[in-house]
Amino acid sequence: MSRRVPVGVSVSLAVLAAVAVAAAFAPWLVPGATAQDLMTGISGPGPGHPLGTDDLGRDVLQLLVAGARTAVPGALAVAAGSMLIGNLIGLAAGYFGGWVDTLAMRWADLMFSLPALLVAIVVAGVLGGGYGPAIGVLVVLFAPTDTRVVRGAVLEQRHRPYIEAALLKNLSSWRIMTRHIWPNIASVALASAFLNFAYALVSLSSLSFLGLGVPAGSPDWGRTLADNRTQLLANPWAVVAPGLAIIATAAALNIVGDWLHERVDRRGRTR
Amino acid sequence: MLRVDDLTVRQPATGRTLLSGVSFEVAPGESVAIVGESGSGKSLTVRALLGLLPGGLESHGQVVIDGQRVDDDPRARRRQRGGTVSLLMQDPFTLLNPLRKAGRQIADGLPSGADPKAEVPRLLAEVGLPAEVAERYPFQLSGGMRQRVGLAAALAAAPRVLVADEPTTALDATTQREVLALIRRVQRERDMTFLLITHDLRLAFSMCDRIMVMYAGRVMEVGRAAELREEQHHPYTRALLAAEPPADRRLAVIPSVPGSVPAHDAVADRCGFADRCAHAVAACRVGVPELRSIGAAGVPEARPLDGGRLSACVRAEELPVAPAPPLGVAATPRGAAEPILDIRDLRKTYPGASRPALAGVSLSVAPGEIVAVVGESGSGKTTLARCVTGLERPDSGTVLLDGGDCSDYTRMTRQAVRRARRTAQMIFQDPYSTLNPARTVGATLKEALAADGRPPDVGALLDLVGLDPALAALRPANLSGGERQRVAIARAVAGEPRLLVCDEPVSALDVSVQAQVLTLLAGLRERLSMGMLFITHDLAVVRQLADRLYVLRAGECLESGPVQRVLDAPDHPYTRKLLDSVPDGSSAWPGQSSE
Repeated sequence: MSRRVPVGVSVSLAVLAAVAVAAAFAPWLVPGATAQDLMTGISGPGPGHPLGTDDLGRDVLQLLVAGARTAVPGALAVAAGSMLIGNLIGLAAGYFGGWVDTLAMRWADLMFSLPALLVAIVVAGVLGGGYGPAIGVLVVLFAPTDTRVVRGAVLEQRHRPYIEAALLKNLSSWRIMTRHIWPNIASVALASAFLNFAYALVSLSSLSFLGLGVPAGSPDWGRTLADNRTQLLANPWAVVAPGLAIIATAAALNIVGDWLHERVDRRGRTR
Repeated sequence: MLRVDDLTVRQPATGRTLLSGVSFEVAPGESVAIVGESGSGKSLTVRALLGLLPGGLESHGQVVIDGQRVDDDPRARRRQRGGTVSLLMQDPFTLLNPLRKAGRQIADGLPSGADPKAEVPRLLAEVGLPAEVAERYPFQLSGGMRQRVGLAAALAAAPRVLVADEPTTALDATTQREVLALIRRVQRERDMTFLLITHDLRLAFSMCDRIMVMYAGRVMEVGRAAELREEQHHPYTRALLAAEPPADRRLAVIPSVPGSVPAHDAVADRCGFADRCAHAVAACRVGVPELRSIGAAGVPEARPLDGGRLSACVRAEELPVAPAPPLGVAATPRGAAEPILDIRDLRKTYPGASRPALAGVSLSVAPGEIVAVVGESGSGKTTLARCVTGLERPDSGTVLLDGGDCSDYTRMTRQAVRRARRTAQMIFQDPYSTLNPARTVGATLKEALAADGRPPDVGALLDLVGLDPALAALRPANLSGGERQRVAIARAVAGEPRLLVCDEPVSALDVSVQAQVLTLLAGLRERLSMGMLFITHDLAVVRQLADRLYVLRAGECLESGPVQRVLDAPDHPYTRKLLDSVPDGSSAWPGQSSE
């Protein structure tokens, strides 16, 4: 078993680290990101503006850094929220079986049959837009993915002798579920959460792109992309850069999630 | 016919060597058994021989099959596999493709030009199956029939060498005997060269002309079956033979060897068995002892590989004469007190099953008494154990644990359930899934002690089951199978239960480790005066450990009574058949194959 981290994973970790730093420290790193400079207007890359400016004269690179602060925490909240809900329901469904399982699975089917983005658009539209409701809707719509994955993994563990031994020790169901089963399925739960993270990032950016996420003028990858798409020829970087940021972050999340899954899965399983 | 010279198997990625210095020859028509415990390298040896090593392993050394050197010629090897050489695998349940009819799978092996319509029924008849089996899918066949189909497929190409890797380990004892008898008959009729891999020395004595004993990736001893059975020139062979307890008499103590099989690299500079050997001297730990010929005068023979006695023990000649087999002792009768477990007319039919798993079974266990339940797969013995501990709910009948009705755990009060759980605990068969892989041994045992209302003294508990308290910091992945089973026993006896339900606790362990665990269980019974319901298929284990015995078949109890009475003079023909299925090491066993 090799301890070396593959190159693809190293690059992905570096991307995520950069995005995390940008998200955490954007106000200090780029305090004037949203300052407009209408005299400059839109321009291509040049001195002082490595990625050029948008039509309001804002530096695209600074917007990108500031945009991480809106794009990432929302997606993280969706991933964490749906992981929590999905894992609890999935554990209960797999462990208790019977009507608990039926109820949970039919709920998951129902959620799967709804087009997530469309529901988010409708809810955001009815509630007058805004980031908060969009996140709430995505948590509810993403949780079934975790529920299904976790339930399947629990079913595999449920009748192992070590679970039966815990039953015979008269341990509570809660303790068996959280302390005995969950650590053994943590790898799939984590992998699923990372997948949701990537999906949520793309979905929230799409909402912002459609004007239903962050308010106009806020720095956000999806928003920047939308605002500048008419100026594609004047400064292509104002469109390409936020798009690349979304793609790179989502791809990095997938790769790191997959790698973590394998690492956690390997722990405790080598004979 | 077959020659292997200085075979080494290595894993280049980790630099580990898994076996080295293995050399042997098999003459045409001869049968040779490679015997060893898990980790001995017996399976790797034949896989290297056939060029079927798992990915990441590579072998060095000369392999000659049918006069042709094949180790450096993959094409020759491919031509020979399934032609000159055929392999019979271990697990009959995964051996056949579930989506193809048996007949087509047999026909796959036929040489080109042969007519499947004529050949398949002929092959099926040879392995004692009717021709219509060709039209059936594997799921319609029993384990024994599948293994016969596997044999027919292996024979299809008329091989000159048949290699069988633990062909009957997954089968019931009575089926094992039939299949082995069949293999031997076919091997003799076809005059095939036969290479058998097994962990069972007595089975090897009965099946083969010569035996090669392996340990930790090296050959320990080689000899003719009859001679090796009479006298062993290597302490390991003796230990292996002694650890397999006899079914015909009870021993005062089950001889066991401390420790477990080391990795090949861990003993690269000495005799692999030295650390567990009672006869070891300083010379055993200086260099790897050479496999040498043990002649009458100690003169090396010209061709030591074929037929001579070989031993890798530096003290082979000066080993004391093997002690005579110990005499049997009578079991001390016990029980008479109020039973700790009383089962009356227990019935259980699984949903969708065609016949009941339990069809009215009654039994009782007295405090401190070991009661064995013997049966083959499908006899209902495991269902019985699970009903006692409440892991299954019986359809009808009563289970009285220490006088309290525990027939239906869902209708009991919390206090009653807790009392029942502290009265009866269980240990399971598979040492690899019996412990939570994510938790350390210490966490598992601390939790068990807390659940049973005991002080959290993990060290004392590990000590009770003969383990080093330092093991508490480890996870199950770092333990051997025997160590895991000991931890599982510690977990079960943490609260000193009055009844321990054991579901085949040693059947997945190597023989030398099996003896250790049986000794531990016998000792714990004395120290904690704990009753045991011991589920097993192994009559030898029953003879050594149990006081009373129930024989189960298809959910019904056929015979019961004191172990000595039932095993010495069985009333029921089925019990007799089970007894006959235990390998006794004689050349008469397994007898004629019945058609």
